Amino acid sequence: MTTGALYLQQIINGLSLGAMYALLALGFTLVYGILELINFAHFNVFMVSSFIAMWALELLGLSGQGVVLTGFALVGALAFAFVVTMVVAGCLGVAIERLALRPMRAVRGTAAMITTIGVSYILFNAILLTVGAESKNFPNPMPSVSWEIGGATLRLREVLIWCVALVLMAGLHLFVNRTRLGKAMRATAQDAEAARMMGIDVDRVIITAFFLGSALAGAAALIFGLYYNYTSFIIGYSAGLRAFTAAVLGGIGSVTGAMIGGVIIGLVEALGGQVFAVRWTDVIIFSILVLVLVFAPTGLLGRAAPTKS
Amino acid sequence: MLSRRSLIIQLPAAALVGSYAARAFAADKEVTVGINLPLTGADAQAALKIKQGAQMAFDDASAAAGIAGYKVNLLVLDDGTATAGQYDPAQAATNARKMVSDPSVVAAIGPQMSGSGKAMSPILSQGDLAIITPSSTNPDITNPKMAAQYRPAGKAIYFRTVTTDAYQGPNMANFYADTLKVKSVYVLDDSGAYGVGIADSFQGQAEKRGIKVLGRDQLNPKEADYTTILTKIKPLNADSIYYGGVAQAGVKLAKQSYDILPKLIKGGGDGMHSADLLSGAGFPAVEGWYNTIAAPHVLDQPEVAAWAKRFQDKFGGPPEDYSITAYDAGLVIIDAIKRVAGSGKEVNRDNVRDAIQSAKVKTLQGEVSFDENGDITNRIVSVFKITKDDKYPLDDTIHQYKYVGVAPAAS
Amino acid sequence: MPNPETAEDQPRQMMGAPYTWMLRASPLQWVRPYWHKPLGLTTITAGALLFPIISRNDANIDSAANALAFAALALGLNIVVGFAGLLDLGYAAFFAIGAYTYGAFASFQIEPAWSPFWQPFEWLGLVAHMGDVVHFTVSFWLMLPFSAAVAALFGVLFGAPTLRLKGDYLAIVTLGFGEIVPIVARNTPSVTNGAMGLNGVAAPQLFGWSFGVNATPYYYVGVALVALLIFCSTRLKSSRVGRAWMAIREDEIAAAAMGINRVKFKLLAFAMGAAFAGATGTYFVAKLQTATPEMFMFPVSVMILVMIVFGGIGSVWGVVLGALILQILQSWFLEDLSQWLHVLGRLVHVDWLQRVELSSSIEMIFGVILVTMMLYRRQGLIPATRPVQALSMTEQTAHVGSGGSSHNFDRLRGLGTLDREADEPLLAVADMTVRFGGLVALRSVELTVPSHSVVAVIGPNGSGKSTLFNAVTGLVTPDAGQVRFAGESITRLPPHRVLDRGMARTFQNLRLFPGLTVLENVMIGRHARLSTGAFGALLRLPGTKREEEAAREHCLEILSVFGNRLLPRVDHVVSSLSYANRRRVEIARALASSPKLLLLDEPTAGMNPAETQELADQIKGLNQLGLTIVLIEHKLDVVVRLASKVIVLDHGEKIAEGTPDAVRRDEEVMRAYLGRSVAVA
Repeated sequence: MTTGALYLQQIINGLSLGAMYALLALGFTLVYGILELINFAHFNVFMVSSFIAMWALELLGLSGQGVVLTGFALVGALAFAFVVTMVVAGCLGVAIERLALRPMRAVRGTAAMITTIGVSYILFNAILLTVGAESKNFPNPMPSVSWEIGGATLRLREVLIWCVALVLMAGLHLFVNRTRLGKAMRATAQDAEAARMMGIDVDRVIITAFFLGSALAGAAALIFGLYYNYTSFIIGYSAGLRAFTAAVLGGIGSVTGAMIGGVIIGLVEALGGQVFAVRWTDVIIFSILVLVLVFAPTGLLGRAAPTKS
Repeated sequence: MLSRRSLIIQLPAAALVGSYAARAFAADKEVTVGINLPLTGADAQAALKIKQGAQMAFDDASAAAGIAGYKVNLLVLDDGTATAGQYDPAQAATNARKMVSDPSVVAAIGPQMSGSGKAMSPILSQGDLAIITPSSTNPDITNPKMAAQYRPAGKAIYFRTVTTDAYQGPNMANFYADTLKVKSVYVLDDSGAYGVGIADSFQGQAEKRGIKVLGRDQLNPKEADYTTILTKIKPLNADSIYYGGVAQAGVKLAKQSYDILPKLIKGGGDGMHSADLLSGAGFPAVEGWYNTIAAPHVLDQPEVAAWAKRFQDKFGGPPEDYSITAYDAGLVIIDAIKRVAGSGKEVNRDNVRDAIQSAKVKTLQGEVSFDENGDITNRIVSVFKITKDDKYPLDDTIHQYKYVGVAPAAS
Repeated sequence: MPNPETAEDQPRQMMGAPYTWMLRASPLQWVRPYWHKPLGLTTITAGALLFPIISRNDANIDSAANALAFAALALGLNIVVGFAGLLDLGYAAFFAIGAYTYGAFASFQIEPAWSPFWQPFEWLGLVAHMGDVVHFTVSFWLMLPFSAAVAALFGVLFGAPTLRLKGDYLAIVTLGFGEIVPIVARNTPSVTNGAMGLNGVAAPQLFGWSFGVNATPYYYVGVALVALLIFCSTRLKSSRVGRAWMAIREDEIAAAAMGINRVKFKLLAFAMGAAFAGATGTYFVAKLQTATPEMFMFPVSVMILVMIVFGGIGSVWGVVLGALILQILQSWFLEDLSQWLHVLGRLVHVDWLQRVELSSSIEMIFGVILVTMMLYRRQGLIPATRPVQALSMTEQTAHVGSGGSSHNFDRLRGLGTLDREADEPLLAVADMTVRFGGLVALRSVELTVPSHSVVAVIGPNGSGKSTLFNAVTGLVTPDAGQVRFAGESITRLPPHRVLDRGMARTFQNLRLFPGLTVLENVMIGRHARLSTGAFGALLRLPGTKREEEAAREHCLEILSVFGNRLLPRVDHVVSSLSYANRRRVEIARALASSPKLLLLDEPTAGMNPAETQELADQIKGLNQLGLTIVLIEHKLDVVVRLASKVIVLDHGEKIAEGTPDAVRRDEEVMRAYLGRSVAVA
């Protein structure tokens, strides 16, 4: 394996990671854009979703690495899993908003954010206490097809991740920019008070943001499972924190920024681990987070006003 | 003030005890054995298996001939806290004091983690209370050079029914060199005390044996993606990797290395000898992994297989390696109490400790005895290779791990 | 200071006296003396000291000692989160730094080769010569403050880059630091022994006697530590420093406009919180005699946060109680509680009750506590602010004294005193331009304010009036232009420096510190004229006490400008006041800084005609006392009554300037106000 091929391989790894981080980052960005709230519950909505995805596949009789599907059966099974996971995850997000966060909306300061930490703890322990601590063998019905490109290996699952991420992000982009509800979301993000006066149902907009963000986390969780063939109650924290870093890097509140930020963090993780050592990866990522916030608090594409005004 | 008695789990009384007189007699002769394990948090699953192993030893003894007429109560303490999210050395220290301050406690089993052991050992030493760990393998605690810190009162009180990292890692390095004819290795660990320790000791011996160590890195057990490090290893053309750590990171490592480094020889320590690895990573990813346990291989012996069956029936899940060492720790304590009582001496901490020190007990892992530091004298390290056996459940550690042999001791 | 003795004695004499509205004579009637609860404090102290003697159980004492360590941590985090409002999610990092500072030096971890360099340290007893290496033997008691200092230094290092960030961003950055520190500890085994954990950290010694592993002496050190930190917290909280922190927490912009150096006080909060954690870390590691990086991970930071949320954010005794309850609950009571539930389950034949293991669901329980507290009792077990008794009907309906200039305001007499020739204008703005993106909010505005005058700025909505105030006071950086004040350039000075020079302001939309009382709000206005720093606040020497007393009296006198509108309400939280009263508090707050120039942004907005009239009189009175005033006002009658000069802004440009009468007749002003068509017609 040549150095070039090695780096190409790391870039492929990084892009796959980045696609997942980007989907997860979108959930942070949607909620933040509208409520200016960092939603720590999102970490574990992702984790819970990965179990939902696993159960959805197991419902189809797929478990472990034993069953491999092809053709329409594969597409159908994946489509079923995506729909179920995204809808259930979206509903989970909406439930969290309705039960825990709506009463906090009028409260100033960090109270709402502390509440999301509490919700995150509850989700985490709900899975730990009911499902258990052991790692799960996430079903993978995909055939192990791969291609050689310039000495690097490109596997079917990587292509799938990229396609799913691109389709969902394009869909979100269209939704936000073309539909009535999307326009209402953008208006609310600009100025919730003004939007309310213009007759926009802000509650509905907020619920939509939570639903979409959580549904995207659900999609991220499913492709996470398909990629690593693994899930566990601990996956939320590390992935969530990196996705959040990605959202900040891209400019929190910006949909395009979250996508770009996700890809950059994915590449940093892969290439940083290659150039330095894996044990320093977290230090590298958090150093980037600190530097970005200090020198460019709006991120790459974010809107202004990071200080209270 | 709360009564500590409310904590004590009443073990099923021996079936033979029938008459009122006998019961009254038994009630006079009660002793307590402390158990300290992180039953809360990240390590809870493994801790439960250890607790069950220990509990079974006392249940068995009570059900059979009894323990020299003594009723043994178990004082189960949890050193995992929500504050730490896992084992918490500060809570372990508190628990050590709980045991020491309860005069009925004559011996103890635990802890699971060396970090807790370090906090407990000085306190137990002052309290003259012997503890037998079924799983903590960090050599510092029984290292005679650190005796002033870990046993300030002088006598050994920290006994082990497992060998320390000081043997498991190096012996595996010898096995890599002698049997597997490995020329080069990349060493990984899972950032935990156990993983770093065993990987360090492996690496040291591997270098001595002329195996080229191509690199060393740490995996974050909470992270999911190890493709970066595995891709980095790929072009180095290593023969093998060695992983020091437990199954939490091991599951992901096994899965992802199966994709990226399918041809390499892969091995680990006793942390990779677990049902969690088999069920979490599954076949074919785990096929061919080598691992060691810090004890002689006994599970294929008929009486041990029967024991495993009974364990499964009793607790509804298979035993793990450390269930066995915990059971053995229980046997050692039962033997010590019997011998003290048999010699007519008072069953107190001091006498029980001395009896444990001089123990020669037939256990599941063979005869157990301890050196003057508390380490097990039998330092056999057994090597296994994961080999799929369709006749048994795929997460059955007893049948999916094939015994390969004894890893050569480091000279 | 006219007569401090009388002033201090009066409240006691007046206690219980029938209502006399002789406010001038006794403004301090409304000041309740500090309410000490010697009985409660004595009980707590006695209980804490006697506990080991009563309990006699080493494990329970040890549990309590651990809980005390967490109480100390909660007190430290409370300074950062509770007082200053800076959400820190990586607080355990400082705990780790403190622990490893002591742990690395007091174990056999760091042993440099012996060289003559170490000789003087050996004489001082700090190191020992062991073979050919240096062994550190620094005393625990020395390391306690030293670790606090090291942690404080890191607090400043971590805090400095994050100060510009808004609350939740700050939280994420601190979370990042909280992640980095244990990773660095794990990856630098030469200092920390990495994941294996420190071996044999030395126990503290007192007069040659080692604490060893006996829990009781550690318990007493813990009690002393917590007592010290409670003492520090309460002293800081009720000082100039504490008020500055709370002002930043309540409203950062207003805090800056009231003369608080945000950078300095935020860093101070970070450093102080870190110092508490550093000292606690040293205590904890000495007690445990080992440390591993896992002891300082994210769950610990979250748990300390849960403790202060549970106890009451900002409440000193609350957070101590929160920490003690949650910690002792897990380490001591939870297993008993489970057993009781099992017994209960057997009694009532409920199967799941017999099997429930509370200790394994403790994290779940804490998550539920956190969410429930946030939803239903955000103020925690012991709220930081106690409810104030509502005014009686008599008090509410009592005759409203007018205050105003007719009274003899001793302390306000010096307002606006200027030691310079009167012919130079007090404020001169030249060529001021402010752009927001493509929008020009102000274009080359000129403005002069003569000393002792009242100048009104009028103009339609959006004409740039408030932007002018913001640019002059430093809240908005102008794109061009100069501001000269009292003969010196103040262009681009930060807001707190502008206030310091003698220019105070109010805000159009009211920027009070809503969670604080009337008196606290006004006292914060006094901030720039006081000098007490952290050490002064902690020591509370006679000079500090005098300064604080004088400031209180000064603020009360200022409040009496508004007659008895505010005096009966000095201990009320401002968010409970009427809108008009809030406006008055904001003016009083600005006055408290002894300004030469007062900028009032629509002071009478939301007031009825009678109230407007009253306030106009009061403003006039202040001007007669020597204060120069610039006001933005829509009510033209007020403008005509007060102003000697009027400036009219429209679309960011000055379109007219002159006496009120002249401006009223100006055609362009008519057009700006009424629309072009009207003017043409």
